[in-house]
Amino acid sequence: MIRSLNDFSRIAREKGPKKLAVLAPEDEEFMRALKRSWQMGYVEPVLIGNAERMGQVADKVEFDISRFEKIIGEDRQAIADLGINLLFTGKLAIASKGQIPTSYIYRSIIREEGKARSGMTVSVISFWEIPGLDQLVAFTDTGVNISPDFKTKAEILKNAVFVYRLLGYPKPKIAILSGQREIGGTLISYRDYELLREAAASGEFGDCEILDATSFTEIFLGGRGRLTDHGSVHMERMPHILLFPCLDAGNIICKLDFFLDVTRCSLVATSRGPVCIPARSDFNDNIVQQLAMCVVVADRMKGEVK
Amino acid sequence: MLKSFREIAEAAKKVSAKKLVVSSVKKTDVELLSEAAGAGFIIPLMIGDGKGIESMIDGTPLAGLGHEIVDEKDSERALSKAMRFVREGRADILMQGAVTHQTFMDAVLDAKSGLRKGKVVSYNSVFQLMKQGKLILVTDTFINNNPTIAEKQLILENAFRLADILGIDVPKVAVLAAIEQINLHIPSTLDAAILSKMSERKQFGRVVVEGPLDIDCALSQVAAARKGLRSVVSGNVDIYLVPEIDTGHLLAESLVFFGRIETAGAVMGMANPVIVNLPFVSDASRVVEIALAVLLCGKGGNNG
Repeated sequence: MIRSLNDFSRIAREKGPKKLAVLAPEDEEFMRALKRSWQMGYVEPVLIGNAERMGQVADKVEFDISRFEKIIGEDRQAIADLGINLLFTGKLAIASKGQIPTSYIYRSIIREEGKARSGMTVSVISFWEIPGLDQLVAFTDTGVNISPDFKTKAEILKNAVFVYRLLGYPKPKIAILSGQREIGGTLISYRDYELLREAAASGEFGDCEILDATSFTEIFLGGRGRLTDHGSVHMERMPHILLFPCLDAGNIICKLDFFLDVTRCSLVATSRGPVCIPARSDFNDNIVQQLAMCVVVADRMKGEVK
Repeated sequence: MLKSFREIAEAAKKVSAKKLVVSSVKKTDVELLSEAAGAGFIIPLMIGDGKGIESMIDGTPLAGLGHEIVDEKDSERALSKAMRFVREGRADILMQGAVTHQTFMDAVLDAKSGLRKGKVVSYNSVFQLMKQGKLILVTDTFINNNPTIAEKQLILENAFRLADILGIDVPKVAVLAAIEQINLHIPSTLDAAILSKMSERKQFGRVVVEGPLDIDCALSQVAAARKGLRSVVSGNVDIYLVPEIDTGHLLAESLVFFGRIETAGAVMGMANPVIVNLPFVSDASRVVEIALAVLLCGKGGNNG
């Protein structure tokens, strides 16, 4: 069972190196992360992008990239298409975003999923490691679906359940979140919660537990509880997966790691393997961690193609 | 500028005690009122089962402090009476007692008999950031489900009034969205861009409104710089405007439960201060909510 980000690092050292398609590694912070990931034995990169720019940033971070396979390309969408195709055709185990707009990569993934007839909805899963908590918490969708309807949320949830099971949890606990309060009528997000509970009860998501709670207050304090002080918070009630009502909520809250004492690590779940999509503001420590996670997920996806 | 909940309490002590009315009083309310009255913030006026209230007060510090009890056993009539007292000037502040949020908010927002003053009533979660030594506002975290751009403008203006009371000179606002770029498919980014432009044209006065901002660019100057964004707001936000209630309510809860950050709330857009009893506000911070309501009265009793 994977309980911490450190577990990913440890297992990535055992299971690596995995072949990694790197899409336009033309930024120092990213190249530094790539260098460290290679040194730690996580990945063997195939570099796709502008030769001169890749060479310049590699020189700046003193990383000899002459030993790696390179595919020269300029057009950003073509680079994304090529890298994702290498993943979907099984030639490489992982793909990672460098200096390419994330939307280009999502477009490439959607095309490949279409060709593969997987029926898979593209979504982003962000894990939080919270000090004192003996598990990782998966936030989803934090990157793709702007305002998902019930059906899309069901697909997003399936992706998260699939990935969380890869971590060794056969029956993950799930909270379907909503801003529902006693006032203001019934929110769409709450109706979706009710529908998703019904879908779960009919076995749509396999073995899992949907919590009877849609807010953090209900999760940590119980239905009618109130915060007397922070000692009254039951953090042990933390679910494994948090399904967010919309992209704004998921993205804003998952990136509170810039403020809170938590560590975030994200990936895109595709039917053929993980795609690493570091944010442009992520630092190299964080990117290395994300690559380690992708190595482990790729390893555990072998033979478990969705 | 007030930088902590302690400073809010100290400022409230300098203002003369206000009369706070609450209907359907419960035991925990008595404990809270006892503390707030003891600090000199308020003189409680409690409406409900007179004998029941007296027995709850008996043996508490409130027994020896100024207070008033009005006997009215019917909870609906008790709430109506409480609002009438505020409207008639017999009380300054209305606090939610043991009635549901729906009953309470329906009553205070009622166009005829309620207490609303502004076109939009909104809820501000005030957070105390100990490390940074400042207070921040997050709005709207409780009342408006899916505000339009016009309503967001008024929610912002409500927040500016509260920021003024807290002594924030030139409030810096992050209008939050999932990304910091304008995406025509993400409505929150469009609203944010318009509000930002309105601020640039000085339509809000002496404030800086920046948007769209994702949370990393709002929280960190370094993160913003890595995305090529330079703004005085990044890393120094006073007010976070959220896109809608799913995000707002869950964000406020996240800061409380994951960040263990104390929060107190203020309803803005009312003719008089109104205190809502939210479950994620700690007992200690509920006293701060009363102190904040006192400061809102101190501004001429007009917080709308």
